[in-house]
Amino acid sequence: MVLPVQVSPLIKLGRYSALVRGMVYGAKRYSYLKHQAEVERRGAEKEKKRLDELKRIEKDLAEGDTILK
Amino acid sequence: MAKFVRNFAEKAPALVSAAVTYSKPRLATFWYYAKVELVPPTPAELPAAIQSAKKIIQSGKTGSFKQLTVKEAMLNGLVTTEVWMWFYIGEIIGKRGIIGYDV
Repeated sequence: MVLPVQVSPLIKLGRYSALVRGMVYGAKRYSYLKHQAEVERRGAEKEKKRLDELKRIEKDLAEGDTILK
Repeated sequence: MAKFVRNFAEKAPALVSAAVTYSKPRLATFWYYAKVELVPPTPAELPAAIQSAKKIIQSGKTGSFKQLTVKEAMLNGLVTTEVWMWFYIGEIIGKRGIIGYDV
């Protein structure tokens, strides 16, 4: 069998430091994007509620169901 | 459905043992190389690593990197690319998903 190669310490250091930096970057970005998704979801819910409210008012107006009957 | 499950339960031990006999020597070879090549750097190797980095910066400053052969330069490029790919593997581990962020 071929003998295993003696990897230079610089390459080893580079590899494992890149691995750790990648893990940190991935975790950080994941938490940030999760937070953004939550914020956007709440914004979309509010928007939907507003639109539903408007539609309800329109429906009531169409049926002639206001205070000024 | 029940017959499939029964068939599978009968054949499973044979499949598992076949998989084990297949993978054992290959795992042994992998471990043999990984013990030397994939091991993380010990703190004692830090000065040697810094020396190598200094040499590279030196060769960049004096312009002696132009004396490299194309083959050596290509190999260096390949090694650099491989080191950079470990960053993406770390990112996959950090975001706990292979493709895309699962928010």
